Amino acid sequence: MSNQQKSEVKVRRFSKAFVWAHAVNAISFFALYITALPMYTEFFNWLYPVLGGPANARLLHRIFAVVFCTPTFIWVIFDFKGFKLWMKELITWKKRDIQFFSEFVKELFGLNFKHVRQTFFNAGEKINSLIQIFTAILIIGSGIPMWFHEYFPRAVVQWGYFLHNVGFGLSIAVIVGHIYLSVVHKNSRPGYSGVVTGKVPAWWAKDHYTEWYEEEVKKGNFPNLDDPKHKKNKGA
Amino acid sequence: MTKYVKYVDVTKCDGCRACMVACKNWNDLPAEPTEFLGSAQSHAKTTADTWNVLQYIEHENGKGNLEYLFRHSSCFHCTDAACEKVCPENAISYTKYGTVVIDQDTCVGCGYCTQNCPFEVISLKEYKDKNGKEYRKAHKCTMCTDRIDEGLQPACVTTCHTGAMEFGDKDAMIQKAEQRVKEIKDRYPNAMVYNPQGVGGTHSVYVLAEKPSVYGLPDNPKVPTSAVLWKDYAQPIGKAMIGATTMAVVGAFVANKIFSKKANGHDEDGGGNHE
Repeated sequence: MSNQQKSEVKVRRFSKAFVWAHAVNAISFFALYITALPMYTEFFNWLYPVLGGPANARLLHRIFAVVFCTPTFIWVIFDFKGFKLWMKELITWKKRDIQFFSEFVKELFGLNFKHVRQTFFNAGEKINSLIQIFTAILIIGSGIPMWFHEYFPRAVVQWGYFLHNVGFGLSIAVIVGHIYLSVVHKNSRPGYSGVVTGKVPAWWAKDHYTEWYEEEVKKGNFPNLDDPKHKKNKGA
Repeated sequence: MTKYVKYVDVTKCDGCRACMVACKNWNDLPAEPTEFLGSAQSHAKTTADTWNVLQYIEHENGKGNLEYLFRHSSCFHCTDAACEKVCPENAISYTKYGTVVIDQDTCVGCGYCTQNCPFEVISLKEYKDKNGKEYRKAHKCTMCTDRIDEGLQPACVTTCHTGAMEFGDKDAMIQKAEQRVKEIKDRYPNAMVYNPQGVGGTHSVYVLAEKPSVYGLPDNPKVPTSAVLWKDYAQPIGKAMIGATTMAVVGAFVANKIFSKKANGHDEDGGGNHE
């Protein structure tokens, strides 16, 4: 397979709805992170003047909190099929998903590894999704009594602070890895274009999500990269 | 440094409210006009501008008689203060006298302290700056720490004309309270010293005529478990986790650089050194 061919053929991995939902989620998460950072650690107190003072930081945090609640709805309303596939994938766990992790560690540190056959989402993405869903529920669920404390018993508000903190700590730790893999790590980097444009290089999709790719080939949606005819016509 | 305690013997209080006035006077707190609340009590509880409130409680005692109970209520200045624990800006601190004070310059008005104080004595006050922008600050009794600094006693204590309040060395005040409870047991069988150990003891120690619940006080106040888990466990573990994942990705980045150099000229376009 030549490099030239690798870079040319692209296939659609994500719908526009997913691209939007992911972008809204990422931007609002980052904005929530920045607007709360001086509350989390005093080291970032210099952010208060940047954000227009503590009261303004609180207001911005609440605006982005509402935005942060919308991605699921965007995906469900505009691409229910894609959302359903995500849900189905998250509850489907097979032996190959466990194998994925031992190979992934090698891949992460740049060692030789083999691709384990994966479906639309690989096991790592599924773990990331599950943790993000769990932490989003924790953060949103605890944020409501923190915001509207006058309508909740004191104990609920007090536990809300704790859960908000746990949800945040867990999600940011996972997101550091998530961003590294998408933006920096060379083997998974092509996935970044997937969440921005919805399209990824065909060879990369075939390597990383073999089972999904082959299914799409069977349906006639994706080019068969192993087909000598294709190589002749569409390659290089 | 000597720790000081404000001793309050509610059985000697005659409900004159001079303590409230003295507090407003010394601390320059504006009057807060209120509606009639159904008793002689002026405010339902302490607020950001009313740091102590005299409670008037109509209580039926064990003999079926009416007791008119008074209590000077204000910040307890806990030894383990929940407000100090949860403040994200370290704006709340313990002084060398044992009092708990809020630094108004550092306070960001988040309200964590108001939600976690087991006695609910801290309140937020809304301000407007010269541009009309709103901001908030948390306020409560300071035990007149500025007066203690000058060798004076808290304004409420100085003004109390019945001797219901005294200010002095912690151990001496606690001893005095215990002695006083013995003296009044005949008249008030439920009398007790209120110096709750769940918050490590307090620097306002009360001689109560009745059980704490009669005065609307918690029987066993403590720093909320959620606050302990949040500040002593969740936050440090969360910070460590962020550090750990950051170190992992930095490690991965360096390892990738090293291995791809070893692979010597292998393609870098994402095809990697696999298959």
